[in-house]
Amino acid sequence: MRMLAVFEKGERIRHIGHLDIQRSVQRGLRRSGLPVAYSNGFNPHILITFASALSTGACGKREIMDVTMAEDVSEEEFLTRMNQAMPPEMQLSEARAVDQKHPALMASLRAAEYDLLIREKDTADKLVGAISAMMEKDAVLATRKTKTAVRECDIKPLIYELKGEGQHIYATLVLTEKEACKPGMLIEALAKEAGIEGEIRVLITRTGLLGMDENGNLVPLETL
Amino acid sequence: MDLNDKIEKVLEKVQKAPRYTGGEMNTEVKGWDECSLHFGFCFPDTYEVGMSHLGMKILYGLINRESWSLCERFFMPWTDMIALMEEEKLPLLSMESRHPLNEFDVIGFTLQYEMSFSNILAMLKMGGVPLESRERGEKDPIVVAGGPCAFNPEPLAYFIDAFMIGDGEDVMTELNRVILERKEKGYSREKCLKELAKLEGVYVPSLYDVQYNEDGTVASVTPNCAEAKATVRKRVVTDLNNTYYPEEFPVPYTEVVFDRIMLEIMRGCTRGCRFCQAGMLYRPVRERSMEKLIDLAEKLQASTGYEEISLSSLSSGDYSCLPELIRELMKRMKDKRVSISLPSLRLDSVLKESLEETQQVRKTSLTFAPEAGTQRMRDVINKGVTEEDLLGKVRDAFEGGWSSIKLYFMSGLPTETTEDLDGIADLARKVIAEYFNVPKTQRAKGLRVTVSVSVFVPKSFTPFQWAAQDTLEKIIAKQEHLKQVLNIKGVTFHWHEPFVSFLEACFARGDRRMGNVLKRAFEKGCLLDGWNETFRYDLWMEAFRECGLDPAFYAHRERSKDEVLPWDHIDSGITKQFLWHEKEKSERAETTKDCRKGCNGCGLQRWKGVCSYANARSV
Repeated sequence: MRMLAVFEKGERIRHIGHLDIQRSVQRGLRRSGLPVAYSNGFNPHILITFASALSTGACGKREIMDVTMAEDVSEEEFLTRMNQAMPPEMQLSEARAVDQKHPALMASLRAAEYDLLIREKDTADKLVGAISAMMEKDAVLATRKTKTAVRECDIKPLIYELKGEGQHIYATLVLTEKEACKPGMLIEALAKEAGIEGEIRVLITRTGLLGMDENGNLVPLETL
Repeated sequence: MDLNDKIEKVLEKVQKAPRYTGGEMNTEVKGWDECSLHFGFCFPDTYEVGMSHLGMKILYGLINRESWSLCERFFMPWTDMIALMEEEKLPLLSMESRHPLNEFDVIGFTLQYEMSFSNILAMLKMGGVPLESRERGEKDPIVVAGGPCAFNPEPLAYFIDAFMIGDGEDVMTELNRVILERKEKGYSREKCLKELAKLEGVYVPSLYDVQYNEDGTVASVTPNCAEAKATVRKRVVTDLNNTYYPEEFPVPYTEVVFDRIMLEIMRGCTRGCRFCQAGMLYRPVRERSMEKLIDLAEKLQASTGYEEISLSSLSSGDYSCLPELIRELMKRMKDKRVSISLPSLRLDSVLKESLEETQQVRKTSLTFAPEAGTQRMRDVINKGVTEEDLLGKVRDAFEGGWSSIKLYFMSGLPTETTEDLDGIADLARKVIAEYFNVPKTQRAKGLRVTVSVSVFVPKSFTPFQWAAQDTLEKIIAKQEHLKQVLNIKGVTFHWHEPFVSFLEACFARGDRRMGNVLKRAFEKGCLLDGWNETFRYDLWMEAFRECGLDPAFYAHRERSKDEVLPWDHIDSGITKQFLWHEKEKSERAETTKDCRKGCNGCGLQRWKGVCSYANARSV
């Protein structure tokens, strides 16, 4: 049996990198005393995957872990014991037991929802004001950095939804194993549209991870 | 911009932000207003170093356990953070509730090594606390310090209000109670310090006057008030089983130097190695019972989720029922996938059986510390280990499937000759030969022998406290020689920065005037001296010159028998007479037996019931 659990990466620990978050979850599982499954081999490790790595510096409201259990446990028990074992900044909100054959989360991931808080009000107003003009364009160019190259790409097809409200920009962006529009790319494109130069301070919160149901609608990944 | 916004801004720019953000598992955030006494625990080095330190975990738990007191952590920020904090005018803030340092009632520094002293001044300054004791007013915190370097407190005498000498578990709470009483009754800082001086094991330097001779040596250190004792006797907790030990440790998110459960199986060491300050300071030997240790291990495993337990002590191989302890721990931890490691492995302990068991779970590299390359030199330092011992252990390790061995040595020991240095290379070669003696099919691949040679620093309260440290020229020549003779296939040679060891020697046996040098060096920008990239030897030498002091006076001068040493008013339990006797024996390369084989009369026998190996009649 596998347990899909939704957890938070709180604002205070947003600078913790993905590898450290992974290790912290594993130690939490070990503290919880829950019957988790271990790999075989010389250095056994807990069988766990994460739907998506969250960038250093970003908060997460609904991150998802996928833990293979050695014995069946109820969702309630999993939640209760994990929440006692996890620090306040990494509490769990939901758990769902699925069977071994349940598809891998990473493969089903289609998009992510973000809440981008623009720290300075003037900048926020300009960025929010630039949304509609930018979205009317045929192509929205942004820089994609990979390990080997930096190149321009059109992110318009990667934007499902985009709106602004006060100092917040809410965006639903493509996130799959193959392609992704990172929040930074969106901010860059908006800044260009708004004619803003220089550094923009943004608090990035990933508020949800989405998959696609049989009708082609984006739904929370853990419900698929 | 409000404080939190400033902090956020700084954290977005700084490298390794998690060093500063806190919120780790098992870190307590008690209500500030619900506690009457606020203790700021300062580790004068980076987060990664500080979070690896056992003493901090003990005192953190101990202070937070009391309903009336709260303990929060402070670490030394790295240089990029210091610059950003200055830019935003941010003070040094606690990891837990982000209160500035100067809002705490007590600030406690742990003194683990001399090269962290400048960080103490940096942290005080960043925290808005006046640097010197005499500059502090009624509203300023009481600044205290403890740890091994508190045994020679003089170089820090201007900056620390009160030192705690010896084991901290009991005196910590006593000290906090006095400061709480002052807060409640509102009496003066001066009276508070005098009250603290009455506690056993507490040294308040401002209550003592120092006189110097014309040649610069200390003439006397005498109390200037009735409350101050002529000699301050170190504190000893006699029963470790009934001494507080935390059942949970803070678990950092990021990797720190020692990221595992540390189980202190015993305190003290009976070996009597003559260079080893810890071996003298932490006497007598006290063991925790196996039952207590198993109980602690299970509780700590459940509260931390750590994957590894290390048995911690000065000489874990000497623990009286080590094989049983390891066997029992392994039995209980196997299903939890916890491995057991033995860090400071002594050569001459009967450990083969234990080694084989450790291997069941995980194989790491094994560390041996012969300390010196020849038998004569090992006799001089009373390291009761022979070449056969070492090679036997190494053989066992290679046969047991290890292929990575670390060997620790010191250079610059009293009476050292080229022959002793060559002996280090000989030993390394013999270790390699042992590896190749094991049939290819039985040994693990990838032989790695790491030879680390540090520079000997004479320390207070050791038989070498009178000795001269090698001059820099000598040290550098010896290191060059070692580089040549250790150019052996399969051997990696590491050596220590000699300039740091030279400065360490100045502080280790420094008097009160070293405080002037420290302050001057700090004003010139010295900090984080334990790190190669930030250590500024040139600025330190300028500071010495401007203070009119010669570092060679502290590092390179041999002291005479009747010289008043700057720490003579601290009673470590070991008598000066015993240390001198040991010094004389060392000159004859004569060894002293392990205390377990009979009392050597180190001085602890004067304190009734403290040392279980003591014999009042022994000399």
